[in-house]
Amino acid sequence: MNEVANVAPQAKTIMEARGITKRFQGLVSVDKVSFSLAENEILGLIGPNGAGKTTLVNMIGGTLKPNEGDLLFEGERINDVSPYRRAHLGIARTFQIMKPFPGMSVLENVAVGALFGRDGGEKSMAKAREIAREWITFTGLGQRMDAHADALGGPDRKRLEFAKALAMGPKLLLLDEVMAGLNHVEVDEMVELIKKIRARGVTLLVIEHVIKAIRSLSDRVMVLHHGERIAEGDPALVLADPRVVEAYLGKRRT
Amino acid sequence: MMGRWPLVLAVLVAIVLAGVPWFGNDVAVQFGINALLLATLAQSWNILGGFTGYVSFGNSVFYGLGTYGTAVAMTHFNLPFGVGLVVGAVVAMLCAALVGIPILRLRGPYFAIATLGLNGAMAAIVSNLPIAGSNIGLVLPLMRGDAIFYELALALLVVCTLTVLWISSSRYGMALVAIREDEDAAGSMGVNATLYKVTALVLSALFTAIAGGIHAYWSTFVDPASAFDTTLNVRMVIMCVFGGPGTVFGPVVGSFILSAVYEVLASEISTAAVLFFGLVIVLAVVFTPKGLTDLMAGARRSGWRYLFRNIRENRL
Repeated sequence: MNEVANVAPQAKTIMEARGITKRFQGLVSVDKVSFSLAENEILGLIGPNGAGKTTLVNMIGGTLKPNEGDLLFEGERINDVSPYRRAHLGIARTFQIMKPFPGMSVLENVAVGALFGRDGGEKSMAKAREIAREWITFTGLGQRMDAHADALGGPDRKRLEFAKALAMGPKLLLLDEVMAGLNHVEVDEMVELIKKIRARGVTLLVIEHVIKAIRSLSDRVMVLHHGERIAEGDPALVLADPRVVEAYLGKRRT
Repeated sequence: MMGRWPLVLAVLVAIVLAGVPWFGNDVAVQFGINALLLATLAQSWNILGGFTGYVSFGNSVFYGLGTYGTAVAMTHFNLPFGVGLVVGAVVAMLCAALVGIPILRLRGPYFAIATLGLNGAMAAIVSNLPIAGSNIGLVLPLMRGDAIFYELALALLVVCTLTVLWISSSRYGMALVAIREDEDAAGSMGVNATLYKVTALVLSALFTAIAGGIHAYWSTFVDPASAFDTTLNVRMVIMCVFGGPGTVFGPVVGSFILSAVYEVLASEISTAAVLFFGLVIVLAVVFTPKGLTDLMAGARRSGWRYLFRNIRENRL
């Protein structure tokens, strides 16, 4: 039962990975990983550095192509679909190394998402700006609407990444370590923000090292280690799993 | 967003410039034709180089195809000048699309190097085409009337600048700038980068080729060396970057100023003009690396300190 904790039994699968593998010149970064995401679910993805989490997200986002296996989005195979088309399908992501458009204002940054996101985006500039303003306010950046993106501090940049992705109107949102470097208060704000996003019907895959956040957010947690899926299921049980503890902290000497 | 006054000022300047053939002398008109065509070239280069950040050294190819398209159409097929311009523009745009699709996959300096190779290749091809007069060139029918060429060049610059004005405030322009700022992020946000880059190159080729065609008919002579001239491309880059790449009026203002400076230097000190022109460029790059438009914004904010802050920030 743990496998489906918190997930409505009749929930539709939105995304599925079937045995996907990514190799970089002999180094296996992701090794035959299979999993599925139910609509409106939050799946937490954890694992030590170098476990292959970002590689997995890059494959779903389309910047990397799996060597083996299939990726399905809403039942369609998307292995060969380019990143911009995946955005049109409704897949959005944030980047671990944040990628704001530095020469643009916050409003323009987010408007790009509205202009080109799901289904090719909004055609009218006025409408796109309106959508952008909504999401900027939603993510708590309302005061910085006209600031240049490169003038923002760390936490605000994370909010900007969020707003950009949300303005695309995604069905599936991939979050790559949006809490890294934030303090306790900021982490709590971010958790609340992600909960609010889910309440709007978005499905989320969340990569995070902040275990407290993963615990309070995730319906399920999946653990990667050396590219392999070593555990999956209810957050409390997975985080207590000896294999998971060992992957993070190493084996206790006996 | 741009305020209202630059637009009003631009309209006034355009009206005054349109009157030059009536109250100016021949020298002024001839200088004007060159300056207006160069400004058009800088503005065309701006569409790709300024907005998407792809530095093209292939624009002189489009210029050359424009001159040759017009020249061949007029001399071999006795077509009117207007049709010649269209022929040159279509050939240049086809070339831009065909060449753009493979080489716009290259980024940064690799793209620039690839375009640099195009020039030599195209000059060699044209030198061996009998229909293009091989390496001797073509002589076009003579038409007196600098005023007409002047007004044509001005009209082309106005249309080109209006196009850039549209780009700067449109969805299309947002895609171009997003590609410049971060192409991967733009792609992940749904921007079809290939489509936008190639169309920007084609648009750039259109105006560049027409400028070439006007120059060909005006000068009544084309040959491979002057049609496919890399230094002309370098001037486009310098003028655009000096004025402010990715802005609406920067490239035009930049090229007018540099044309004027060059003209003054050439008449005052003739042989050493190039040397001093080089010095002006070096000073401009040191003090205002982001162009005149950035200088104006920066000076309004922080006055003279702006100039020296640039030196500090760029560790010169």
